[in-house]
Amino acid sequence: MGKKKKVILPPDLPVIGDDEIQVSDEDLEFIGRNREYAGFLTRLDTKSIDRHVTRVADHKEDELESLYEKRNRKASLLRLKEEEDKLHVDPVDALPVKTLDGKLEYRTADKLKSGDRTSENKSKDDEEDAGGLKLTKPEKRQKLKKSRKEAKKLAKEQEKENIGEEEKGNIGEGKLHTEVLAKVEEDLSSEELFRKKKIRLAEIGLQLLENPEENIKALKELLQICDDEDHNIVKLGLMSLLAVFKDIIPGYRIRLPTEKETEMTVSKAVRQQRFYESTLLRSYKEYLTKLIALEKQPSVHQVAVRCLCSLLDAVSHFNFRQSVLVSVVKNISSLDDTIRKLCCEAIRSLFLNEGKHGGEATLEAVRLIADQVKFHQCQLHPDSIDVFLSLMFDEDIGKSEAVEEEVRPKKKRNWRAQDGLKEVQTSDRKKNKQEIMTKTREEVSADFKAVSFAPDSRERKRMQSETLSAVFETYFRILKHSMDPSTSRSHPLLAPSLNGLGKFSHFIDLDFMGDLLRCLKKLAGHSNHNVSSTGTCLSVSERLQCCIVAFRVMRNNLDALNVDLQDFFIHLYNLLLEYRPDRDHGEVLAEALKTMLWEGKQHDMQRAAAFIKRLATFSLSHGSAEAMAALVTLKHLLQKNSKCRNLLENDAGGGSLAGLVSKYQPDATDPNLSGALASVLWELSLLMKHYNPSISTMATSISTMASMDPAHSQVFLSTASPLEAFTDSSLEQELLKTTGKPTPSSYKRRREIGNDFVIMDPYKMGNENVVDEDEVRRKLEDHFVVHKGIAENERLRRELNYTLSSISLFEDYKREKRHKKKGKR
Amino acid sequence: MRPLDEKETAAVFEKLFKFTGPNLKLIVERPAVEGPASDDPGGYCLRLQKNRVYYASESLVRRATSVARDRLVSIGTCIGKFTKGGSFRLTIQSLDLLAAHARRKVWLKPTAEMSFLYGNPVLKSGLARITEGVSAGDGVVVFSMSDLPLGFGVAARSTQDCRKAHADAIVVNRQADAGEYLRNEDDL
Repeated sequence: MGKKKKVILPPDLPVIGDDEIQVSDEDLEFIGRNREYAGFLTRLDTKSIDRHVTRVADHKEDELESLYEKRNRKASLLRLKEEEDKLHVDPVDALPVKTLDGKLEYRTADKLKSGDRTSENKSKDDEEDAGGLKLTKPEKRQKLKKSRKEAKKLAKEQEKENIGEEEKGNIGEGKLHTEVLAKVEEDLSSEELFRKKKIRLAEIGLQLLENPEENIKALKELLQICDDEDHNIVKLGLMSLLAVFKDIIPGYRIRLPTEKETEMTVSKAVRQQRFYESTLLRSYKEYLTKLIALEKQPSVHQVAVRCLCSLLDAVSHFNFRQSVLVSVVKNISSLDDTIRKLCCEAIRSLFLNEGKHGGEATLEAVRLIADQVKFHQCQLHPDSIDVFLSLMFDEDIGKSEAVEEEVRPKKKRNWRAQDGLKEVQTSDRKKNKQEIMTKTREEVSADFKAVSFAPDSRERKRMQSETLSAVFETYFRILKHSMDPSTSRSHPLLAPSLNGLGKFSHFIDLDFMGDLLRCLKKLAGHSNHNVSSTGTCLSVSERLQCCIVAFRVMRNNLDALNVDLQDFFIHLYNLLLEYRPDRDHGEVLAEALKTMLWEGKQHDMQRAAAFIKRLATFSLSHGSAEAMAALVTLKHLLQKNSKCRNLLENDAGGGSLAGLVSKYQPDATDPNLSGALASVLWELSLLMKHYNPSISTMATSISTMASMDPAHSQVFLSTASPLEAFTDSSLEQELLKTTGKPTPSSYKRRREIGNDFVIMDPYKMGNENVVDEDEVRRKLEDHFVVHKGIAENERLRRELNYTLSSISLFEDYKREKRHKKKGKR
Repeated sequence: MRPLDEKETAAVFEKLFKFTGPNLKLIVERPAVEGPASDDPGGYCLRLQKNRVYYASESLVRRATSVARDRLVSIGTCIGKFTKGGSFRLTIQSLDLLAAHARRKVWLKPTAEMSFLYGNPVLKSGLARITEGVSAGDGVVVFSMSDLPLGFGVAARSTQDCRKAHADAIVVNRQADAGEYLRNEDDL
């Protein structure tokens, strides 16, 4: 608008009334005499002349058109206003003004108004707005759009006319104008089309939502709109189709009628319903194929994936679920954060809302993910396995089944007993009675099953067991893959799969247990022996996690047998030394301490002593959070193993308890052979002077335990686990920290070390996702701009040097030539 | 009294290895704590005397050379004996050595302790705890719940099989137990 206002309009043509044109008799005579010459007068095109006179150079015709319109409108409005204003003004107040013509004019408020056109304009707009406020916003918008459309249409028509006329009149000028006009038209039409399509989309969507049965054919049109070239329209179309489908898809699966069924004569309602369903299904299928096709285009990739995910979430019971699932699972480990998150969320909700689809989709999804893992050889994003954690398994189904299975062998036993009875030859009557009884019992149970949906539960049980087997297959595959020494790359999926194993450990079959533990043992001790040979090294946290999982698995299956996981204790004992606070995750360590030492019921005395000694050393050399966790564990161990309190005594040697190793060996790898009982916990007296008050009090309380009698000490069993202690004190540490965060540097360092492809660390992932994408992009842009600048600079310098050197060379050459000439002379 | 020849050493080490695994190295290379305190304490060695194998520190062995062979009853710790057929048997006196270096252990419930000490095998019902990863045929050391070594034997079934076994199934076949000190006092 602002630009348009700057256009200086030519003055209005003088209004020539009919009365003013006085054709004299002489003139008439003249024309009558020279009819040949005056013929042009009749052919004069006043309109085009007018336009030529009033045209402003280099401005768009339609703009001018509208400007003119506006001016006219304004003029009329002004006139109206003036009249109104004039009414209000008292002529006595305002003295008349004599103009140059000699007319007297009464001074009215119109002067102000006519002096400031823009304000007038504004007020007019305001008026319009005020009128529009009564309408609701969308209505208003639509109205505006419509009015604009109409105006544009008119303008176009006029343009066409103009073009035609101009071509007739002035060909040279017309050419220029047509080019400009074509361009303008293109611009306008694209914008116009966009608006039109948008409106059309909205209309169809509303229609469909209002009455889907009748307007089902409109789906086709919607689909056609999605074929548009404009990406924005495609996006909008996809989204609106998604909304429509979400709303109108029924809560059941549509089965298309067979040929036989179609041949049969049916009532009108049924026919209608069939038509509706088939159309819906067909267009849904078309929509899906379009989505899957569009998914490959980078520009609409995200929208397509979003649509697929929300479809999976909303209508997981409907037809073509498989294809939706396939494409969602394909994107589950996408490099794009948003897409990956969307997909993971969709799958997760699929797992959580099993009631919607009866567990079938869960099974399919799990299988697809398993295939994906297999296909990519375990090189995926950790998120793709993390979704398994939200799987839910109902144990009760299994229980009912188990009871049934238990009943069956009993029955067999009964038969066997009956066989025995046969030999004994009891009376036939008794046998008959028994048979009748068993028969009726079976009948009753069959009826009961039919009523209580027993087959359904069996089906669910089958599905669940298959899901579980697929999940464990994936987990074991990952474990096996990470054990494989030939793959030197890191294992992004190991951590989440260990988590999952920990969670579902109570479902693992006992037969697998041995293999699983062997696997874990190997992984936990991976870098002990063969770091140098193969280069594959699991991080300390991963190895700690292996230990934790082994303990969880053991504990959850600890029905009958208490198994001592000695090897894992040895691994933990050594891992304590390898722990580095910046590199490894303290939470994992605290968790390991908790599951392995704090919750463990019995320990060897030797081993407990070794751990006590090592934990004391550990707490002396690490930050307060780790130290706190270690001290809590230490205290617990001392409370449980009263014999180990000898460590608190002041004399070394350990006496008779020390066993065969009479001297403490701090570097022993086996806790049983370290001879820790021969040592003294001198670390505690240093820890008593720790700067952190909680640690110093803890150390003091531990060192006073020696004087306590064992019976008394049971009261003081602390309830805080190492994990809690760790989180508490790490929180405290965060609060105490005033300046300088050590974390960024450590992350940076790790980023340098880590591979460029998938980021392997879930903890780091969490931190990275926080970073704004735009910010990253901007920073990268800055970086590359600077980089380019430097490169350019270097290039220019090189050129300069080159030219300089060539110039100097040329000068040398000249000089030499001159010398030679001189010499010749 | 003489050092063991190659064949005998192999037999002894084979038996010990069953119980201690790689820890056997520690038994052999253990620095001595007996004898006069000097810069070089010396190690331990195996000696054969009247079909019995003794585990003794070097300084003790040096001093024992002054005793006539037929007069020497015992030296250091007896860990086993060679039978008339030439095979080696670990005796109960080796228990301390084995317990300190054992790889596989079994802990007994207090109720099952006496039964074991009377010379019976360890049953599943008496099993309180077992090291993970025991396979059938491994040597295991039997402990009470207060970590007191009671004896040793050979595992009859692996840890995995133990889970499924009946309560009256044999887990460890006894080879020696501390009750022998009373029962076979004369033979030891």
